[in-house]
Amino acid sequence: MPPSQSLAPRSATTLDTVHDILGTLVARYRQDEVLTSVRQISAREAKFRPVPSWVTSTLCEAYRAKGIQELYSHQAATAELVHDGRNVVVVTPTASGKTLCYNLPVLNAVLENPDTRALYLFPTKALAQDQLAELHDLSKRLDDCFGVFTYDGDTPSDARKAIRERGHIVLTNPDMLHTGILPHHTKWMRLFENLRYIVIDELHSYRGVFGSHLANVLRRLRRVAQFYGSDPQFICCSATIANPGELAAQLTEKKVEVVEENGAPAGEKVFVFYNPPMVNRNLGIRRNYINEATRVAKEVLARKLQTIVFANSRLHTEILLTYLQQANPPKPGQPEPIRGYRGGYLPGERREVERGLRDGRILGVVTTNALELGIDIGSLDACVMVGYAGSIASTWQRAGRAGRRSGSSCAVFVASSAPLDQFIVQHPDYFFGSSPEHAHIQPDNLEILVNHLKCAAFELPLSPEEQFGNVDLPDLCERLGEAGFLHKSGGNWHWVQQAYPADTVSLRSVTSDNFIIIKTTGDSDGEPEVIGEVDFSSALTTVHPKAIYLHQGQQYHVERLDFEKRKAYVKPVNVDYYTDAIRYTQVRVLEIAEEQSIPGPAARAHGDVLVRSQVVGFKKIKFFTNENVGSGKLELPENEMHTTAFWLTLGHSLLTELPFTLSERQNGIFGLLYALGSMATLLLMCDRRDLGAAVGERPPSAASEINWEDFAAPRASEITEFFEPNLYLYDAYPGGIGFSEPLYRISNVLLERTRELICACPCENGCPSCVGPAGDRSESTKDVALAILGRLCA
Amino acid sequence: MQDRFRRLKALQLPSPSVRSGLEWEAAVPHIPVQLRDGEHTGPGGSGRLEQLLGATAKANEYGEHLSLHCWFGEPARFTPSIEALRLLMPDAPEEVADPEQWIFLDTETTGLAGGSGTYAFLVGLAWWEGGGLEVEQLFMRDHSEERSLLFALAERLAKRRVLVTFNGKSFDWPLLETRYRMSRKIPLPCPRAHLDFLHPARNLWRLRLGSVRLSELERHVLGWDRGQDLMSGLIPQIYLDFIRGGSPERLVPVLHHNQMDLRGLAGLSSRILSLLSDAETLGQDGLELFGVSRICERQGDCIRARKLYEQSIASVLPVETDRTARRSLARLAKRDGDFALACDLWRSAVGNSRPGYEAYEQLAIYHEHRARNPQEAREVVRRALDELHRANHAGTLAPRAYHEIRARFEHRMARLERKSRRPLLEGLGTKFCPEE
Repeated sequence: MPPSQSLAPRSATTLDTVHDILGTLVARYRQDEVLTSVRQISAREAKFRPVPSWVTSTLCEAYRAKGIQELYSHQAATAELVHDGRNVVVVTPTASGKTLCYNLPVLNAVLENPDTRALYLFPTKALAQDQLAELHDLSKRLDDCFGVFTYDGDTPSDARKAIRERGHIVLTNPDMLHTGILPHHTKWMRLFENLRYIVIDELHSYRGVFGSHLANVLRRLRRVAQFYGSDPQFICCSATIANPGELAAQLTEKKVEVVEENGAPAGEKVFVFYNPPMVNRNLGIRRNYINEATRVAKEVLARKLQTIVFANSRLHTEILLTYLQQANPPKPGQPEPIRGYRGGYLPGERREVERGLRDGRILGVVTTNALELGIDIGSLDACVMVGYAGSIASTWQRAGRAGRRSGSSCAVFVASSAPLDQFIVQHPDYFFGSSPEHAHIQPDNLEILVNHLKCAAFELPLSPEEQFGNVDLPDLCERLGEAGFLHKSGGNWHWVQQAYPADTVSLRSVTSDNFIIIKTTGDSDGEPEVIGEVDFSSALTTVHPKAIYLHQGQQYHVERLDFEKRKAYVKPVNVDYYTDAIRYTQVRVLEIAEEQSIPGPAARAHGDVLVRSQVVGFKKIKFFTNENVGSGKLELPENEMHTTAFWLTLGHSLLTELPFTLSERQNGIFGLLYALGSMATLLLMCDRRDLGAAVGERPPSAASEINWEDFAAPRASEITEFFEPNLYLYDAYPGGIGFSEPLYRISNVLLERTRELICACPCENGCPSCVGPAGDRSESTKDVALAILGRLCA
Repeated sequence: MQDRFRRLKALQLPSPSVRSGLEWEAAVPHIPVQLRDGEHTGPGGSGRLEQLLGATAKANEYGEHLSLHCWFGEPARFTPSIEALRLLMPDAPEEVADPEQWIFLDTETTGLAGGSGTYAFLVGLAWWEGGGLEVEQLFMRDHSEERSLLFALAERLAKRRVLVTFNGKSFDWPLLETRYRMSRKIPLPCPRAHLDFLHPARNLWRLRLGSVRLSELERHVLGWDRGQDLMSGLIPQIYLDFIRGGSPERLVPVLHHNQMDLRGLAGLSSRILSLLSDAETLGQDGLELFGVSRICERQGDCIRARKLYEQSIASVLPVETDRTARRSLARLAKRDGDFALACDLWRSAVGNSRPGYEAYEQLAIYHEHRARNPQEAREVVRRALDELHRANHAGTLAPRAYHEIRARFEHRMARLERKSRRPLLEGLGTKFCPEE
């Protein structure tokens, strides 16, 4: 960020190298079909503003000594707004000097009044560690006149007291705030009495469930601050999303000003869209994208460009890692040049990879979204995205990982055959021309809110006059009282359980129960060793009995899953396949919130549903060829959840009037849902896993089971005619996280875009990119889906 | 809303009532939990609870709470010596030795983890009176009585300024600090001194008893028998059940338990302080003597520590403790310049163990730097290396420890050999070696 460093000159080597790589990649194919877009994003000039006059001279001096004489325009704008007492969200891409946006006004306030306290929230521990280094540097330049500490699960207990007393700035994460600080607020009296600023970095990462939790943690934080007589100001930083102001306002429940103009310079970047070549045009089958991405990454790595490879699942991370490590074996006596990095690795292992990337010992890293956020891994030369990140915002974040500190770089997006990927890769203008997505949260999700209400009652007795979200608080308290959690005394509700409520509430997933993965070597003298962990919801699909679990490229066979004790016992193996779980899902409508007739005849609706799902089996898939080489049945516990859903009901006459057979119509309905689900995740800013899909008969008859993960058409014998089918898209979180109502509102756009997607697909009878894999599906799936959409969009 | 709420699984109550298996259930006839009709839930209740507990309602400007008094002839009043006290608290002011200033404190709480939602529903206090121990228990019938209880507690602590607890430094007192802060009204009392007997008890008896729970100490150190007693882990649930409308009978053993803890604390503190004054005659066994020596050594009373270590070694000690005592004694002897004794102890301690290798090392240091006999020092190091190789061969030493210790001795050996080759510089050489 130092302006003293001029814009990196166009580095001919890198650009030539990129074009060289592209040449090699497409040598055998028609270039325009494979490289659907090669965009050169030119460098951007910096816009400067002077440092505001109210900034104390010592702070100006300290920044000047770091080489910062002037501010970028967005930094100056943010600082001014904070100085005026406003709550701010500043929207900045990676490497635009966002930390100065909050450090400058906060440090200035601390220098003016040494009692001032600030709390910084980062989504992960690693990001907080990263910021600590920057603040320590400033602290040294300012004669250590302020204390700055991280406070997280790794903080030694003897250091905690000092932090509570002397920390002017405390860097922590929402989880620690939730379990470590708020329940013990009396020990943090100094901080809370003087709490003036709350900084929320990486605001965009607080969406969906996590964001809904954070909004409630912040409700508790404001409540505790109020108890100590303070009303802190919020300073938020977000990557580019469509609604930063709205998200910040929902999270903080305050009026928030938005600073969007970016004054930071950026280096030149080549952004490449790579669509794996067709191998069977009729079936719409393309070359496997994992293999193609491996090819791309190999070419890049072969030219010694430091590279980050993003995959969308842990499984794919490990598969890619296996391939790339085979292609780049370590030199004798040297460490492995290609490493993996994802949740589930132990912290020490992760820090080592981060260091290795910064000092260049590691040439390539294969990761999940774990490295999407601002962890400092230095500037990399290239980024390979294996599959679409799920949102425009995430894609830019990931691409920003290459060349984040100006200079030339390249980013390659390798599309899978999933509809979303194909839509994006074939419509580069949509990607480069659209604003990024909206971030949705649902702070009043009753399940989430009630859990935090319990925590709030533990922290301070609840008064019936208080406001906590948009719910009937006295009524909720009565019910919690009846359930034995609260007790009313002296007009207030008190916590009457022995346990810490916060301990049982995890901010990041449905349950706090993680499964630990234990390696047993088989021979008796080997000590069992914990190699990682998976969260509850992933456990059923990744460590079910007989699954192949991959960790740092090593395959492990799951010998036993101890469901009660949350342990999976694995043994290292060497096999040529991996496993993929099959899940069945069933949906029942509980309560309709809104319903409306639309052309068709059909209806759209949203409301509460009950979703039952179960992992019932798995497939064995061969490496490299992706052949299905076997399968197995599993008997795992059924999951039941209440959530919200958006659904379409197709009228009986709509179906019967279609000129297709019964089984063609059935297949068409499944195909349509497949495409709708894909398009919905594109329109909402959500992960594919956040949204479930299912078909069921419209009530009152019993819903039917469909298999979404696998999406094979039901076998002929199982086909029963739907009288009026419901096509559900539901929130994959108990209580819902706020996708259903937006989907209901934009259902016209959803239907239109889905029709565009299917129309534009070059396949003949349907493929994984539009209505799902043809497989044993009838030839007219695509036609049926389009016919139905034609009626609905009329 | 109602329907939706019912569906939330989050509201499942973990366990509706107290688990069975109470030790006192055998003694107290089991009374089925009956729902009270609210008459005891607040100040001005009908008085059934007071009768049951033998307590009276006390009022102050913050409201009401219950107070319960009783007197015990045992333990008898005890006057500690300031010297003994200063072994526990080096900067203790004179008034700490004044038994009139002492106030024992033990709380019962709604949870064991702490945090701002954990309440101290019962605060037991005790002080010396009439040759014995006067106990007062402050009890809140409801959360609304907390302020009144805290105010009363502050009054008692203002009168007697030396707070005496068992594990109160890390549990009871921080929890009360939290409660005072939460009250926002009543200032936190600040005792003149806070004596906590957990750590001294640990020093003295953990080696012998394994556990230093108060009831264990009472039984084995004081020779008391509490009879039927409640497992303290069950107390929070009993109170929370009561708050939620359960019967008050189950509170009786809670109050009794708290009284027993206070008596145990008073008795134990007397015992610990008399041991510290006169371990030489009062010490029951070598382990107690050893414990007192450790406390003395930590407070810098090396002369007494040495004497007591010697005395404890002379009595019979378990092997491990004996080794530790000899090691400590050797350290003290070295500090006093008594190398004859120190060397004797080291020679008897050498062997294949961490302390054994440390003894080799100490001997080598002695011969190299103090006795100026590099020949002898080399001989000691050689024996240590032989011992190491044998242990490694036999697999009786962890590989990591083996490498680490071997490196140290080899380094020393190399230096000794260098020295022996340059005899003229030997005198200078010692100056370059950091004092070990």
